[in-house]
Amino acid sequence: MKIKIQKGHDIRISGVPAGTVNTLESVTEVGLVPDDFRSIKPKLLVKVGDKVMAGSGLFFDKNLPQVVYPSPGGGTIQDIIFGERRKIRKIIVAIDKDEKFQQTEPLNPDNSTREEIIDFILKANLWPLITQRPFGKTANPADHPKAIFISGLDTTPLAIDPFMALEGREDEFRTGLLVLTKLTDGNVNLSVGSEARAVEFNDVNGLATHIITGPHPAGNVGIQIHHIDPINPGEVVWTMQPQQVATLGKLFTTGEFDPTVVIAVGGPAVTNPGFIKTRIGVPVSDMIKDNINIDARRVIVGDVLTGRLADDNDYLGFYHRAVTILPVSTERPFLGWARIGSSSRQYTLTNAYLKTGRKLFNFSSKKNGAERAIVPIEAWEAVLPMDIMPNPLFRSILANDVEEMEKLGILECDPDDFALATFACPSKIELAAVIRQGLELMEKEI
Amino acid sequence: MKILRKFSEKVEPSFKDGPLKLFYPIYEMLDTLLFNTEKENDTAPFIRDSIDLKRVMTIVIFALLPAFFFGLFNIGYQQALAFGLERSLLANLWFGLKVMLPIVIVSYATGGVWEVLFAVVRKHEVDEGFLVTGLLIPMIVPPTIPLWQVVVATSFGMIIAKMVFGGTGMNIFNPALTSRAFLFFAYPGKISGDSVWSLAPDGFTGATPLAVTASVTGGNARALLDGVTQFDYSWSNMFIGLVPGSISETSALAILLGAILLIITKIGSWRIIVGGVLGLLGTALLTNLLSGASTNTMLTLPPHYHLVMGGFMFGITFMATDPVTAAHTNIGRWIYGIMIGVITVVVRSLNPAYPEGTMLAILLMNAFAPLIDYFVVQANIKKRVARYAQ
Repeated sequence: MKIKIQKGHDIRISGVPAGTVNTLESVTEVGLVPDDFRSIKPKLLVKVGDKVMAGSGLFFDKNLPQVVYPSPGGGTIQDIIFGERRKIRKIIVAIDKDEKFQQTEPLNPDNSTREEIIDFILKANLWPLITQRPFGKTANPADHPKAIFISGLDTTPLAIDPFMALEGREDEFRTGLLVLTKLTDGNVNLSVGSEARAVEFNDVNGLATHIITGPHPAGNVGIQIHHIDPINPGEVVWTMQPQQVATLGKLFTTGEFDPTVVIAVGGPAVTNPGFIKTRIGVPVSDMIKDNINIDARRVIVGDVLTGRLADDNDYLGFYHRAVTILPVSTERPFLGWARIGSSSRQYTLTNAYLKTGRKLFNFSSKKNGAERAIVPIEAWEAVLPMDIMPNPLFRSILANDVEEMEKLGILECDPDDFALATFACPSKIELAAVIRQGLELMEKEI
Repeated sequence: MKILRKFSEKVEPSFKDGPLKLFYPIYEMLDTLLFNTEKENDTAPFIRDSIDLKRVMTIVIFALLPAFFFGLFNIGYQQALAFGLERSLLANLWFGLKVMLPIVIVSYATGGVWEVLFAVVRKHEVDEGFLVTGLLIPMIVPPTIPLWQVVVATSFGMIIAKMVFGGTGMNIFNPALTSRAFLFFAYPGKISGDSVWSLAPDGFTGATPLAVTASVTGGNARALLDGVTQFDYSWSNMFIGLVPGSISETSALAILLGAILLIITKIGSWRIIVGGVLGLLGTALLTNLLSGASTNTMLTLPPHYHLVMGGFMFGITFMATDPVTAAHTNIGRWIYGIMIGVITVVVRSLNPAYPEGTMLAILLMNAFAPLIDYFVVQANIKKRVARYAQ
């Protein structure tokens, strides 16, 4: 299928990563942040001082006890940091010099049943690689998804091209795709940005390729599901990122967890924006070392629209493929709202400021305004390429009207797909956060 | 600037937690008015568009300026015409400014007092909506208006149309238009709009273009307008706006400049404006076709005359596009705009009591906008439910 997304916008933020992939050497500790997995209740399997292998379980989810979350590294549990009400914030593993990886017998997906494959992934503690929609959480192995979606193009700001990140792992990626075709009776959908890319996968049985073009959020898997095979009530689709498909493929060919991941480091506060090959759970300080051009900065693990605010003692999450660094600006322009405007000082999707050219913009983490009531100037709708009415949906969530939310299609929505609308909102309303709140409410009701 | 900034930072604690806590909304208003806010994003997305509500309102003010200045000029021009004076452009502007400035000051002062009072009592922030309302009200009243009427009308519009609903973003009716409607119904002798308002010698009267056509039965609207010798009621003159009327409503040309700015900046909904104009032209065309069956002169008024007469252009550009009181869905905005155009002509042509219909059309559609949205949303829901059923 060929799909052209019309609505949206590619934010021209400066600090675009470029060049070749550099390998980040000598990682001495890794961490896992349970908050990176949506709506789980973690129960620890380890305590401080325990020896773990890369891939052995750190905790399981009380809601879904068969799903165990793997350690991103092999060594000693150095620390477990708790927050309020003993919520687990981080589990930190000091990596041994001779790091050990949990090893199992490889499995040939070609002559295995669906049950054997699921069992194999669960035993390897790599089930969290697979996420589901609705709710964007770890998939339930007991579900039968109607389809599986992989987005092979990343339109988020300052992203790495997924196929560049896969270089050298193409065979593992293909094995992973093969595994996925065994997990669903429906299609495994791979979306790519060009015809040339699509034909590379013509030979994979049970795979449907789609060519998606257009501005962000065209690359968001939620938008693609909406246009290719929308989710109806009671249905579940599974989603994976290309690099995770390769990780899954590698598990089947070698029997080992490979935490390797290639990420983009970019943003206006980065001296040399580029790509690094590193591993899941790597400390933020390792990734941004000697690469920051300003003292006052904010580090975001993940992309700038959907990531998580981090400090230097934080860790790259399981699903993050970027680290973005923004300068903090304390400047408060005098009578700023009355300015004619210039392209170097203002960036807007409206034309409310004079602007010329398509220069990259030095974004800071400022809100650029105060929160106000909704004044609907079509800012949300203009960048939401879905047949969803964001304004009525927003209101029904605030009213906790679960029935109305479902009618308005909240099960097809994900905060990530509403990030651009939140960016564009003149009233500075946290639309994406409200969508998440609505989904959490739905989840409790179901 | 730095001194102001330092002063603001120095007094902030006493407003935030100190003895002046009650007046924090006033502090917040002045502080954020002078300096853009510096809040950081603590949740994703971590970058935001440079637009905020202050800028939205500023753009609307920018868009109002051509009509505002033309209004100033026209006050002077009409006065000179009535007295038979020769006056330069600047002198006309200066004369107009002397009339307009008190009205603007009174409108902003009255509205500002209510805005701050409600913000303090209800402990919310002062919002920016009044920046626009406070300027709109002087622009849609006649130059002859007594200042006390401005006070009463502004208060009515602010309290009844806006504050009782919770302020900007919550209101059902456009506050400025409600103020105008209040004047219209409370002081019909002065404001109903059948005779011209101009600062003229005692005993000076004249009929507005709409009244000229509405007052005669069995005539031809164009011939009647061309027959007026007191004013130049030709189409081109009405398009430029050199006719008596409410201060800023007369010049379709100046309003068009504002409309273009609103549409280019994406602040005003082009769907509403285009829909309104199409609705007006289409309905006027229909009345022209039906005019043979009636002696109603208004039915013979050509569509393009409807466009430049009365307050339609001003209403559809600046009142109907108020995003809060308009329909909130794109299909809804089309219906809402078209219906305003339709009802304007219907009120003008078929209702002998009111020669002007724009104000009533917009207020009526303000009331219906939520209903239009309801049906649009239901259609969206039905489409999805139909897909589920497959």
